[in-house]
Amino acid sequence: MSGGVDSSVAAAMLVEQGYDVIGATMKLFCHGTDVPDRPCCSLDSVNDARRVCEQLGIPHYVLNLESRFGHDVVDNFVEEYARGRTPIPCVRCNTFTKFRDFLKKADAIDARWIATGHYARVANGELHRGLDANKDQTYFLWGINRNVLQRMLLPVGHLDKTATRARAHAMGLQVIAEKPESQEICFVPDGDYVRILESRLPADAPALLPGPIMTSNGVVIGQHAGFARYTVGQRRGVPGGFPHPMYVIEVRPESRAVVVGTREELLGSGLIAREINWLADRPEVGEHVSVRVRHRAPLASAEIVRIDGDELEIALDEPVSAITPGQSVVLYDGERVLGGGFIESSRQQRNSLPVLAA
Amino acid sequence: MPTTPVYLDHAATTPVREEVFEAMKPFYGPRFGNPSSTHRWGREARAALDEARERVGRCLGARPDEICFTSGGTEADNFAILGAWRALKSRGRPAIVSTPIEHKAVLGAVHHAGDEGAEERLLAMTADGVVDRDSFDKLVDEKVAVCTMMWVNNEIGTVQPVPELAAKAKERGAIFHTDAVQAFGKVEIDARKQSFDLLTISGHKFGAAKGIGALFIRRGTELEPLLHGGTQDRGRRPGTENVAAAVGLARAAELTLAECEANCARLEKLREKLEAGILAKVPDAVIHGRRAERAPHITNVSVPGTDSEALLMALDLRGIACSGGSACQSGSVDPSHVLSAIGVQPDLANAAVRMSLGMLTNEGCIDRVIEVFPALVAKARQLTTAH
Repeated sequence: MSGGVDSSVAAAMLVEQGYDVIGATMKLFCHGTDVPDRPCCSLDSVNDARRVCEQLGIPHYVLNLESRFGHDVVDNFVEEYARGRTPIPCVRCNTFTKFRDFLKKADAIDARWIATGHYARVANGELHRGLDANKDQTYFLWGINRNVLQRMLLPVGHLDKTATRARAHAMGLQVIAEKPESQEICFVPDGDYVRILESRLPADAPALLPGPIMTSNGVVIGQHAGFARYTVGQRRGVPGGFPHPMYVIEVRPESRAVVVGTREELLGSGLIAREINWLADRPEVGEHVSVRVRHRAPLASAEIVRIDGDELEIALDEPVSAITPGQSVVLYDGERVLGGGFIESSRQQRNSLPVLAA
Repeated sequence: MPTTPVYLDHAATTPVREEVFEAMKPFYGPRFGNPSSTHRWGREARAALDEARERVGRCLGARPDEICFTSGGTEADNFAILGAWRALKSRGRPAIVSTPIEHKAVLGAVHHAGDEGAEERLLAMTADGVVDRDSFDKLVDEKVAVCTMMWVNNEIGTVQPVPELAAKAKERGAIFHTDAVQAFGKVEIDARKQSFDLLTISGHKFGAAKGIGALFIRRGTELEPLLHGGTQDRGRRPGTENVAAAVGLARAAELTLAECEANCARLEKLREKLEAGILAKVPDAVIHGRRAERAPHITNVSVPGTDSEALLMALDLRGIACSGGSACQSGSVDPSHVLSAIGVQPDLANAAVRMSLGMLTNEGCIDRVIEVFPALVAKARQLTTAH
């Protein structure tokens, strides 16, 4: 329970349904340097979760998973940026922290189920997208152990956000009903992830050193102050003066180069992903599936080209924008999540003319 | 089948005793006066406050003017350490000596003095949880303004040789403070025979209310006040006095001392039964500080292959209240700085469960814990192996 509306309503619904509910909040990082108005994970949020549990008449515990989270999620977050990739910590948090380490605590108290406030649904041991298409969070859940689905309860997955808020009001949970959404990464309270990298990487880490900004045909058009500040698809920090908007299309850590290009150059026609995890029976090569390559990106249709151990290659029917190493690709069959993986590389389609600096 | 809840967290806090509550009541009602007022209401309150000061003083072997009421242990510790250091720092004594197993109230104050320029010196500890005397001899020298050392450790219950070391520190010209929050009513405290200069007690650990404590300040000990304002308590502690709570503190202190011997014997016996019961079923359980002299109300046990957070939850869900390391503000259990300071390995430290006995503890409580705890431990170990 984060102290937010979704997990609070989830707990309240389960209490209503007659479950013997125990509330728990994960303590994932130090509260020493806290940002008071942050919507999630702050000390105030722990207090909100505690108050909600008090109101629901259920016990509440705070579980310290700081060191495991630091190792599995925060360290990886830093390493990924250092390698010129754009990490997605929420996936690793769900995989390793919430639905593994946290679940062990549930085992210790004989809790049969684990319930969260995710917008997703479990049916017949399979994971389905949440009813609210705008809120669907299956993009972050592909990595969990398939067996865990047997124990998951996701009560708000059957609601849309408006209904969840209404439920919160109806249940008397005014405190949290109108809390703002948490969009930020919980351990990067002000969105300034570079500061975290600066505090954890050596000062001479290549990811934080200046390097060239160049076009795809090798023309250097400027300097940047560290490639970790850039992600594929980004426009901020890209020099202007071009006839078309320019985007980051690639980060090359070995030469510290940030490569920029047009919207067309940002398109990818396929991708390779690793650390594949299946939440349903493995599909066959040649099958058509829908995929999502970024949170809130539209679903795209694709063909499975190759499955090789935990590596997967897919070809997209239509090109997709900003396929980013480090982000996730999630495969769906209709509403059903088949599985997913971390994007290793995109297959670029470079059919546009070289763009010259104006 | 509902069972009676078992409260084994007396080192965290205790309920206000009925006699104490009764003693406090008039001061929330008809005798509500401000002790600084000159009229009858004021005089009545003042009389009660002065009497409370005398009575608390008697309980510590102190004169009334040596008792300063505070909001509790944390304030008293801060006042003692920062007050003494600030008063002495300009006289060529820049250092503060403490131990790594102190309560956060002491460590935080020492550290704050460090920010103000104090040299922080932490004594070495033996694996049994007692101060290493060689280290004491080395670190307590003529540069030391204050030496602060808890009498009874709140996590493992070990007793420090406070009278002996207080005398030594005095010989070297240092002010000696002891946090006796867990010691009051458990060890003999007598300011006439022992040479500590400053001593902290906290009411809610022995049946008085939360929000009241006292600092013993030996005559002639210079302290710079923490708070600034009126002239209450000789200007040492400005602010309208908490008369009701001070009266309650006096009553609780007297009751505690009157029952001290019988109570300690009773708790000792219960703890022995508890530890023997656990060890009989979990022979590899580690009881921290067991080889040292311990106060009778605290036991701290680690079972290899378990984790205290999960155990505490499971115990609580069965109606048994214990605690882990230091309770963090968020309510989570952080690894204990005390256990790591005495060399306990992280895995074992993360399994620590503190059980602290007191007025609510009887044989039935102990029987229940002896039944439930080993079963939970067995379960937790099964899971560890399975994962």
